[in-house]
Amino acid sequence: MSNGGLVFLSATELASKIRDKDVSPVEAVEAYLERIAQIDPKLNAYITVLADEALAEARQSESDIASGKNNGPLHGVPVGIKDQIHTKGIRTSDASKIRADFVPDTDAAVVDGLKRSGAIILGKLNMTEFAMGDPITSAFGVTRNPWDLERNPGTSSAGSGAATASFMCATSLGEDTGGSVRGPAANCGLVGIRPSWGRVSRFGVDGASWSLDTIGPISRTVEDCAVTLGAIAGRDPRDPWTWDVPVPDYRAALTGDVSALKIGLVKEFLDPDVLGVTEPVRQGVLDAAQLLAGLGAEVEEVSLPLAPISGIASRIISSVERTSLRPEWLRERPQDFHHNTRIAFTAGELIPSQIYYKAQKLRALVRKQTLDALERYDVLAMPIDSEPATIMDMRPGVRSKEAAIQALRRGSYRGLFSMVSGPALSVCCGFTSDGEGKLPLALQLAGRPFDEATVLNVAHAYQQNTAWHLERPPI
Amino acid sequence: MSDLNNDEIRALAKAVGLEILDSDITDVNYSLNAIIEAMDGVDIEGLNAVEPLAIILQNGEAQS
Repeated sequence: MSNGGLVFLSATELASKIRDKDVSPVEAVEAYLERIAQIDPKLNAYITVLADEALAEARQSESDIASGKNNGPLHGVPVGIKDQIHTKGIRTSDASKIRADFVPDTDAAVVDGLKRSGAIILGKLNMTEFAMGDPITSAFGVTRNPWDLERNPGTSSAGSGAATASFMCATSLGEDTGGSVRGPAANCGLVGIRPSWGRVSRFGVDGASWSLDTIGPISRTVEDCAVTLGAIAGRDPRDPWTWDVPVPDYRAALTGDVSALKIGLVKEFLDPDVLGVTEPVRQGVLDAAQLLAGLGAEVEEVSLPLAPISGIASRIISSVERTSLRPEWLRERPQDFHHNTRIAFTAGELIPSQIYYKAQKLRALVRKQTLDALERYDVLAMPIDSEPATIMDMRPGVRSKEAAIQALRRGSYRGLFSMVSGPALSVCCGFTSDGEGKLPLALQLAGRPFDEATVLNVAHAYQQNTAWHLERPPI
Repeated sequence: MSDLNNDEIRALAKAVGLEILDSDITDVNYSLNAIIEAMDGVDIEGLNAVEPLAIILQNGEAQS
């Protein structure tokens, strides 16, 4: 295999070849750096490429392998990190002018975890400004979708999605408040898991919304996703909200056996009259459900009547929490925000207290209804959005009140599990067509709090019986 | 409920020490009124009796 071909291996395949000394970590890093130099000018997925640092780490990693020392399941594997996650001595910008010179003096807990697993940090990935949902707001330029440069790569971990899909890193980390891991995974044809709230430490991650934020992997295969999650999960005293719940061996849980499982298909998200799900998305999810039924899972429809208001409630909660994190920025440096971010932050500051209070009450009801359903079903299945990646509107501004309401409602597909606080995963379940304009479709799978293993296993069973994850974007 | 107008939004902003630029006021108006209208349209029986706490996990919810 040529060095250039190394980038097309999965993270676990690459780790295996490194472990067997068929490939050196230096060769792997060089291959990825070459790929980044070739592809990233078109996608703008990286804010900072750590060429020298990654090569130095790779040489150490190579030396460790030669002396019989293996640091873990990601030994020598190059990974990308969203630029919201602190990296010691390396700028962490939140894709903003305001944080453009911020250099943390410690690594985030998840970076510690990756390093303990032997991973090599290849660079810091672009995102939307302060992890807001609008794709055009990064102070470092817009990230493009490798499947179609004019389309939204998914937000807010846009660079994590684009870089992973275009083979500019082996696996990556994003942060998911209202869907920022699952959205890029869906739009870029990948696997992304939002872990349970409290499963992964947020120490050293710039917050977006304290009660909704989670850190999760975006990968090309479920197995890569499982291994990456295993590297970052677990109790961390530096984040008091992490739970002392044992972390299973997620990779070992990928048996592919779903025969004893009950899967509920969320009726409201598959009804075009509720949130406007489009036919390709609806059919993709139904086909995936049929495949899982063919593998022995018991699949039936389940109704969650409150699910369609999840987007409104979750956005209100995140807007209020987000603006309360650093209110001085909006007052002292308003001109340094992208227009759309400033509008969102300003509106968030002005939300009446009783509206926020009502959103919290709704959250409690939505959680109870969904967790009740999860007592009857092991996993819930649904779309991740009403349509595949849309064309990015590069004009700043809010078009109308009605458009803003529509966007709030559409956020329900992802907002539901942000509020429930259990794990939710997006996996590619097809493409819109085989001709020009081919775009990924996605299936969302969600489970009980702290039961990431079952969700990953269902996705793995699906992926093992399909070939969508082997498709490559036309870039 | 009728929409907040620009003067009312500026007054709300002033109360929390924010000044809204002329170039921003229309977009803030759309965004804020969208949030209020969307939530105003949610009418669920028994909602007032719900504890509005940001409960993340309760005993027994974690699956080990």
